[in-house]
Amino acid sequence: MLYLLISCVSFILLSKSFTHKPIQSWEGKLKYLLSIWLCGELSSFLVSWFYKSRLVLDSLRVPISLPLKKMTSSLSSKVENVEEEERSSLLDLPELTLECIFERLSPAELCTMAGVCTSLRERCTSDHLWEKHMKQRWGGVLGDVAYREWRCHAASTRRSTLSDQSKKKDLLLDSFFNLWPLPWITPKFEKRSKVRTTLPVDSIMALYLSLESGNFWFPAQVYNRENGHVGFVLSCYDAQLSYDPRTDTFQARYSPHGRRTTEDNIQWDRLRAPPVDTPSHILHASDCLHDLKPGDHIEIQWRRNRDFPYGWWYGVVGHLESCDGIDNHCSCHSSEMVILEFNQYNPGSRWRRTVINRKKHREEGNEADGFYGGIRKLYQEEEITSWKRRWPTRVLE
Amino acid sequence: MASSTSGSSSSSKVVKIRSSDNENFEVEEAAAARSETIKKLLEDVGDDADVIPLPNVDAKTLVKVMEWCKKHMDDVDELNKEEMKTWDAEFVDMDQSCLYNVLLAANFLNIKELLDQLTQKVADMIKGKSPEEIRATFNIKNDFTPEEEAEIRKQNAWAFE
Repeated sequence: MLYLLISCVSFILLSKSFTHKPIQSWEGKLKYLLSIWLCGELSSFLVSWFYKSRLVLDSLRVPISLPLKKMTSSLSSKVENVEEEERSSLLDLPELTLECIFERLSPAELCTMAGVCTSLRERCTSDHLWEKHMKQRWGGVLGDVAYREWRCHAASTRRSTLSDQSKKKDLLLDSFFNLWPLPWITPKFEKRSKVRTTLPVDSIMALYLSLESGNFWFPAQVYNRENGHVGFVLSCYDAQLSYDPRTDTFQARYSPHGRRTTEDNIQWDRLRAPPVDTPSHILHASDCLHDLKPGDHIEIQWRRNRDFPYGWWYGVVGHLESCDGIDNHCSCHSSEMVILEFNQYNPGSRWRRTVINRKKHREEGNEADGFYGGIRKLYQEEEITSWKRRWPTRVLE
Repeated sequence: MASSTSGSSSSSKVVKIRSSDNENFEVEEAAAARSETIKKLLEDVGDDADVIPLPNVDAKTLVKVMEWCKKHMDDVDELNKEEMKTWDAEFVDMDQSCLYNVLLAANFLNIKELLDQLTQKVADMIKGKSPEEIRATFNIKNDFTPEEEAEIRKQNAWAFE
């Protein structure tokens, strides 16, 4: 009410000084200045009052509060400068030099720096500093699917915090707004600490911290699942994973499978980012069938029966039985049939080899031998060595 | 200090540079040319150059920078690498205001290797410190409320373990 009264008075003063067009007289100027001073005093009182009640008057859409804000902030910064002149601060260095320093910090150090002051927080939480660390540490295990899942997770977190905040706001402000004299001026109220310390959920640092703390279960693939169980040697299966910072290993949850579906203590080198986007229950569209020739390294989807998820299994392309395997005479690459060999198995094993038709291969198999699905030819040496590293010490039955 | 007369530069050219507080220095061209900025200026003006003014660097800082340039004038062979490492470590070990001034100068003079060494030095000063220690070391004011600090600590829990 008091506010309404005084602002009206000052408004009248202001408008008066404008209507008497040539404000030549000292009286006019004095009135003008007085009205500004009045508004200033008043809004400074209001600002401090709001501050004390831990609410920030963010955007009171009354223009007179602006010059006051500016004035006080420039004043206080002058005072700070005087203090700082005694000793130079790290923050006085040019932006680019600071960047060079921050680029040399580890994730833990960046986190510490982000807790030093608001200015460092803003700088040390920025995505471009974290991208490198993200790639270095998590690049090998985080694929597109994981990033997509994170974005969904971030979006839903944002939605829930927003609705939480608005609920709280409603409760808190309902009574206040009943007394609010100017319904067309709606101030924005925010809790100060939330704005300055909450990491944007979609920031790379937020993802990094969620991964490091094990809070975010991300999709990836695990080689030789279930501790190299003999039934899974040289395979790679989809799983949801969570990092355990105490042991520097992962915990996995595999897609429902009828048996034990979790595993602990998985080392980093048993994980990989899914190389293709195909979910584990979908047949992968093979785009390399025309290009398969003896000696090629491949991985192929395989599942025990149609209710099970696919896993990826390592194999090589072999020669047809009619071929003697001598390079000059070999014409296996032009044959419709392609032999796939899984040499980790005993020659007599039913898993040792299978035949597919390169013209019309989709899913081949039966309930006894399982079903062979889509094929990826491995073009990168890195992928091939990653499989060969896991070659079993003895031949599998 | 140990401005060694290592021999290799017996007949080298000398350039004159002037600090912001109007002190003139004579420096071997090979040393001065460690600065991309000076190198560029020398290329542009050629032999007509009288004195190169460096309006952003005071004499005290310039002495420091040129000391480094002189040391790093020649290519270092494997044998001297270790010695150079110790020299560099001692060089960057200076008080903070001096460090900042040399950093600013290295930035302006565009001496990448020196800039790398100095920014690494500052990064090393940050390593292993708590936020409180960093504030004290680098003269930074804490403008968080206690509640905000507590919240940040909670977020960063893994980093402080």
